[in-house]
Amino acid sequence: MSDPRSGIRRPSSAGLVRLVAVREIAARIRDKNFLISSAVILVILLGSIGLQVAFGSGEEATRIGVVGDATDLRPALEAQGEPLGVEVTVVELDDEAAARTAIEDGEVDGALLAGDTADPELLVEQSAGGSMQAVVQQALGQLALADQLAAAGITSLDVPEVAVTALDPDADEDGQRVAFAMIGAAVLYSLLVLFGQFVAQGVVEEKSSRVVELLLATMKPWHLLAGKIVGLGLLGLVQVVLIAVVGVGGALAFDLVDIPGELVGTAVTVVLWFVVGYAFYAVIFAVTASLVSRQEDLNSVLTPTILLLVVAVVIGLQAAAAPDGTLALVTSYVPGVSPLVMPVRQAAGTVAVWEIALSVLIMVAAIALLLRLGGRMYAGALLRTSGKTKIREALQAERV
Amino acid sequence: MLEFDGLRKSYGENQVLDGVTFAVRPGSMFGFCGSNGAGKTTTMRIAMGLARADDGEVRWHGRPLDQELRARVGYMPEERGLYPKMRVGEQITYFARLHGLDAAAAARASAEWVDRLGLGPRRGEAVEKLSLGNQQRVQLAAALVSRPEVLILDEPFSGLDPIGVDSLADALLGQVRAGVPVVFSSHQLDLVERLCDSVGILARGRMVATGTVDELREREAGRLLRVVVPDAAPSWAAALPGVRVVSEQAGDTLLDLDPVTDDQAVLAAALGTGRVTHFAWQRPTLVELFRGAVAAPTQQEVAA
Repeated sequence: MSDPRSGIRRPSSAGLVRLVAVREIAARIRDKNFLISSAVILVILLGSIGLQVAFGSGEEATRIGVVGDATDLRPALEAQGEPLGVEVTVVELDDEAAARTAIEDGEVDGALLAGDTADPELLVEQSAGGSMQAVVQQALGQLALADQLAAAGITSLDVPEVAVTALDPDADEDGQRVAFAMIGAAVLYSLLVLFGQFVAQGVVEEKSSRVVELLLATMKPWHLLAGKIVGLGLLGLVQVVLIAVVGVGGALAFDLVDIPGELVGTAVTVVLWFVVGYAFYAVIFAVTASLVSRQEDLNSVLTPTILLLVVAVVIGLQAAAAPDGTLALVTSYVPGVSPLVMPVRQAAGTVAVWEIALSVLIMVAAIALLLRLGGRMYAGALLRTSGKTKIREALQAERV
Repeated sequence: MLEFDGLRKSYGENQVLDGVTFAVRPGSMFGFCGSNGAGKTTTMRIAMGLARADDGEVRWHGRPLDQELRARVGYMPEERGLYPKMRVGEQITYFARLHGLDAAAAARASAEWVDRLGLGPRRGEAVEKLSLGNQQRVQLAAALVSRPEVLILDEPFSGLDPIGVDSLADALLGQVRAGVPVVFSSHQLDLVERLCDSVGILARGRMVATGTVDELREREAGRLLRVVVPDAAPSWAAALPGVRVVSEQAGDTLLDLDPVTDDQAVLAAALGTGRVTHFAWQRPTLVELFRGAVAAPTQQEVAA
């Protein structure tokens, strides 16, 4: 008989971590809860873009039909619309009958019968609402004035142009920056809570179903921990990137922002801070979840961590309004809080590169410490499949 | 050889294992008996690296079982464990991969075991939707799918109906024929007696008896001979050399023979008294041996 074990090689550590990660992803993308929550986030995002488009500042637009010679009228009408914030489109029509049909069909908002220059008439459906009448009146007036001046031999006229000086030219842009920052913080918070919970539920599922014993017969606890965090983390990364792309893409496509560069910058910042924040919270969620053996007990151990996240997002949201305040300044270095405050400061205010680097460095150090301590607790608590394990017990328990 | 050598383990004051030693030959089945809390599960968990022995070790082919060797062991824990929402076929494939089969081989082996254990129609269902008996089969498939060199099964028969017991027994005997040493624990001693080449009885953290069932019978019960001679006078056997009368009632006599005593001499003496209606070695069942072994400290234990 040939060697029955030919072709079987014990997986390497990386191989085991990858197997666990792939299983996590496969299990999660089939999970209804995951699909629904992902869909809900995207729907909210698309919905808010839609609202912006519907109610947004977008310019007024009007279509004016012209019966007669439009050579001079077209530029005059368009020029009059500009300072009033009205985008004027001129449509040439053959005769009055065509004009009436066009108005009834809603193809134009009004039609100017300009055949008789002395007695022009504006046809509208009900009333010449908004600025249409003003635009038409001004355009005709200007043309008439030019005609009369020309008749009087005056071909050029010096009219002083008003120079506009804005006291706060960036007011709109600042508002948008704050909005980006707040949306970024909210997205980060939602995804950290969502994926943190996924990690926690996965850990407890393995304990409560006792499959963990079978798993640990083939791998070390850290393989399982790493695989789970990496797998769900990749899924979370895909989701945050998707949100960023849809959000930024939507905002740019519908021309909702004045500072597209900063929007893209904020989106990238959010994605990067998601990675750091997720690593931190995933370890905490996994380790605290390993202390209990039933899904019912999960909430009680997760509460402190979720509270920390809530505090962090509240600070983050207030930092959007006061990005240079002391609270925002200090908390943007506190591990666990910084992923929700620093990106807000970056978006809404100005932050030096060294500040970001320092904040990330502190987070990475905190993650390393967490992994060391948390890994011990996780390994100690994983095989205690009855009741709740105290932190001290988990640290002292024998590790396999 | 799969050797369990001098395993000791205590949880605080509680000495759970106190020098558990036994060996299992490749291609043989070892039945592990003992009352609840005797330490069977702890012994197996130590072998699988799920608990750490205070002293002693488990060896396979002379090498201590470590993480690498354990990948070649098929294990069924006492507390059954599977991912409840994962599909049967994928689950078995996953465990095959964790034991080192590549993707293609794992899928093949998974399909093969799913069919062999009669789970074919359930392949795509989530484990939690299966009956307990079928879940048990999935568990077994997870243990066998990686073509293990060694099988360690904690109470594999518990919760199975008689047909399930038979099919599991067949599967295990098939593994034994392929040269795999199989260790399993069970409270169903008739099953252990039927299937196992050798048995071990664990009591109070010690192996109080190991060997083939026949060896245990001789060692634990001595050579007890029951002779029924209805016409014999009382104390008919008292004078026979090398024979001790254990009990006698109206000719129904229980005799304890020295190892060298010829049972045919006893038969001749019995025939001398008249009719002999029964003459047979008293063969205690494993249940009786088990009761005797776990009831009180044995001489070995007292001596030790």
